Amino acid sequence: MITGFRRNTALIALLALTLAQTTPVRAADTIKIGFSVSETGALAAPSIFDRQGYELAADEVNAHGGLFGKKIELVHYDDQSTPSTAVALYQKLITDDKVDLVMGPYSSQINSAVTPIVDRAKLVMPSMDANPTAFDGSHPFVFQAIAQTPQYMAPMIDFAARRGVKTVALLYQNSPFPTALASGIKDEAQKHGMKIVFEEAYPPATTDFGPLLLKVAATNPDLLIGGTFLADAEGIVRAAKSQNLHAKMYAFSVGPVEPEFSRALGPAAENIFGNTLWFPSLSTKGNAEFVKAFRAKFNRDPDYHAALSYAALKLMTTAAAAVGSLDQEKIRTWLHGRTIDTVLGPFKLSPTGLQTGFSSYVIQWQKEKQLLVWPPQSATGTPVFPHPGWQ
Amino acid sequence: MLVTILTLALTGVLWGGVYLLMASGLNLIYGVMKIVNLAHGDFIVVGGLLTLTLFELHVNPLAALPAAALVMFAVGALIQRGILERLVTAGPAGELRTLLATFGMSYVVSNVGLLLWGAQVQSVPFLEGSVDAFGIRLPENLLVCSAVAFAFAIAVHIWLTRTMSGKAVRATSQSAVGAAACGLSIRRIRVLTFGLGCAMAGAAGSLTITLIPFQNSSGGPLTVQAFTVIALGGLGNYVGAFLAAVILGVAEVTTSFVFGSNAAAAVVYILFILILVFRPQGLLGRSARV
Repeated sequence: MITGFRRNTALIALLALTLAQTTPVRAADTIKIGFSVSETGALAAPSIFDRQGYELAADEVNAHGGLFGKKIELVHYDDQSTPSTAVALYQKLITDDKVDLVMGPYSSQINSAVTPIVDRAKLVMPSMDANPTAFDGSHPFVFQAIAQTPQYMAPMIDFAARRGVKTVALLYQNSPFPTALASGIKDEAQKHGMKIVFEEAYPPATTDFGPLLLKVAATNPDLLIGGTFLADAEGIVRAAKSQNLHAKMYAFSVGPVEPEFSRALGPAAENIFGNTLWFPSLSTKGNAEFVKAFRAKFNRDPDYHAALSYAALKLMTTAAAAVGSLDQEKIRTWLHGRTIDTVLGPFKLSPTGLQTGFSSYVIQWQKEKQLLVWPPQSATGTPVFPHPGWQ
Repeated sequence: MLVTILTLALTGVLWGGVYLLMASGLNLIYGVMKIVNLAHGDFIVVGGLLTLTLFELHVNPLAALPAAALVMFAVGALIQRGILERLVTAGPAGELRTLLATFGMSYVVSNVGLLLWGAQVQSVPFLEGSVDAFGIRLPENLLVCSAVAFAFAIAVHIWLTRTMSGKAVRATSQSAVGAAACGLSIRRIRVLTFGLGCAMAGAAGSLTITLIPFQNSSGGPLTVQAFTVIALGGLGNYVGAFLAAVILGVAEVTTSFVFGSNAAAAVVYILFILILVFRPQGLLGRSARV
C-alpha cells in the first residue's frame, strides 16, 4: 500500500516535472523553423551539409532584417539517420516546440517517414525526396525541393547518345532511389535507341563486385552506368579496373560527385563521369555569393546537398514574406503558382508538388578535379571521351 | 569457361581470407574469454580510418598496419583492464553483461570515429591493378590482403598451439580456475587476449579499407559478418573459422556470378541456417576446440 502510494507520488512528481519542462517557453520575438538532422549514423555526411545550408540561409535572412522584423531561430535535433526517430522528432517540433515553419530532413526514406505527420499538421514542407511517387497529390502540403529521380541521369544519357554510345551495361543498388534511377536510365536509353546489354541489381551490403564485372566484361558495353551511392560506385570502379574493362564511358549517379571519390580511388577515378544537381561555377542567381559565404562560414566547400537546403529555406522565407504571413495555405499556393530562381536554377512545381524546374549536370574527374562537362552552356571543361584506358 | 571457373574459385578463396581476417580477433576473444565483442566491427573501422590518416601522410597501408594494430592493442587492453575485468561475469547473466558492455562500447567507438573522421564513406587507393596469369585476373590488393590474412591466421594458430604464452591462453580458455591454480596470471592473460583481439581488428581494418569503403557507422554490419564466420566455423575454433571463411567466400562469389548479387547476399544466411539446424556446434565445433 505504502509502496503503491509512493510510486503514485513519484509518478505525479515526474509528470509535473515533464509538464514544466515542455510548457512552451515561446519567445514571441523569433520565427522558429524546425527540422531534424542526421548528426550521427550512416547519413551524417550529407545531412550535415543540409543543416549548414539551412544555417547559412537563416543567417542571411537575419542579416537582412529577418522575417516580419523577427529573427529566425532554427530548432533542430539529431534523428540518428533513423526514420522512426525522425518521426518522433517532427511530432515534438510540431506539438512541443510549436515551430512556425518546417524544413525536410535528409534522405528519401526519412522524408517519406515524416511526410504524413507534417502534412496532417497542415504545415508546408520542402522535401528532399527525389522519388516522384512521393508526390502523387496525397500529401498536398509537402512539395519536392530536389530534382526528380527518373530525370536525374537524362543529361548523362543525352551526352552519351551524342557521342555514339550504342550499348549499355546497367548496375544498380536494389534500394528505392537507385531502382527509380535505373528505370529512368532505361527509358532515356531506349528513347535514344541504345541497347541495354546487361542489367543487374545488387544489395546495399555488396562488397565484392568482381563476379558482377566479370559478367559485364563478357558483354563488352560502350557505357557502364551505375545507379549508385559512394561506396558501391568505388567498388564497381575498382572491379572494372582489375577486370581491365574497356568501356568508352563510366558513369555513376552518386559517387563521383563526392570529393572523397578521387581520394579513395586515386588514378582510377580519372575520367569517370558523375551526376550533380548543382555546381559551384553555375551562373545561377546568387550562386557565387552562396559559395563564398558558405566557405567563409564553414571553412569548406559546399556540395549540392547544401545548395538544395539553402535554396529550400530561402524558398520558404521568400514565400512567407511575399504573402505577408505564416498562413501555410497561402505559402503553399504562392509556391505552386510561379517559377522562382534559386542557386540550383529555376524552381517550379507541378500541381501535385513535383519539382519540374532545375535538373542535373554531368561532371567528370580530370586531373584530380571535378569539371562540369555537360550541358555545354554551363560547362567548365571539355569532356574526355572515350575513356583512354586505366592508368 | 575453365578460366572463369578458376577465377571465381580463386576470388572466392581470397575473399575468404579477408573474411577470416575480419573474424580472427573476434574468434580469439570468444575462444578465450567467452565474450562476444560487439564493438569488434567498430575497431575494424577505426583501424581502417587510422590507416586513411596515415595514408594522407604518405604512409603505405601495409606500413600503417602495425601502427593501427598497436593503437588498437592499447585501446583493447585498456578496455579490458578498465571495464570488462570489473564486470561480474559469473552467474547466468554473466555473458549478457559483457554483451551489453561491448554493445555500449560499439556506440562510443563509432561516435569517437565520427568526431575524429566525420561520417563520410572512406577508402584508400592501394594496389588497384590486377595480376594476370593464364587469363585469370585477380585484383592485386585482394591478393595482398588475403595473403596477410592467411599468414596472420596461421601465426595465431602456431602461437596458440606451440608457444608457452599461447598454451597459457588456451589453458585459461579451458578452465580459468585450473589455470589460476597452476600459477598463471588470469588477469594478465585476459588483458593480453582482448588487446590482441582488438589489434587483429585494427590490422583487418588497415587492409580492408583498401577493398571495402567504410564510414564510422559501418561497424555493426562488419561485426555481424565476422560473427557469421566464427559461428559457422564453431565459436572459438580456429580451423573451423578458416574453413567457414573460405566456404563463405567461394559460395558468395559463385552464387553472385551464377544467380546474381541478390542471391549472393542470401546464400550466407542460408548456409548459416543450415549449419544451425544440422550442426549447431558449427563446422568444427567441440571436436577440435582451441
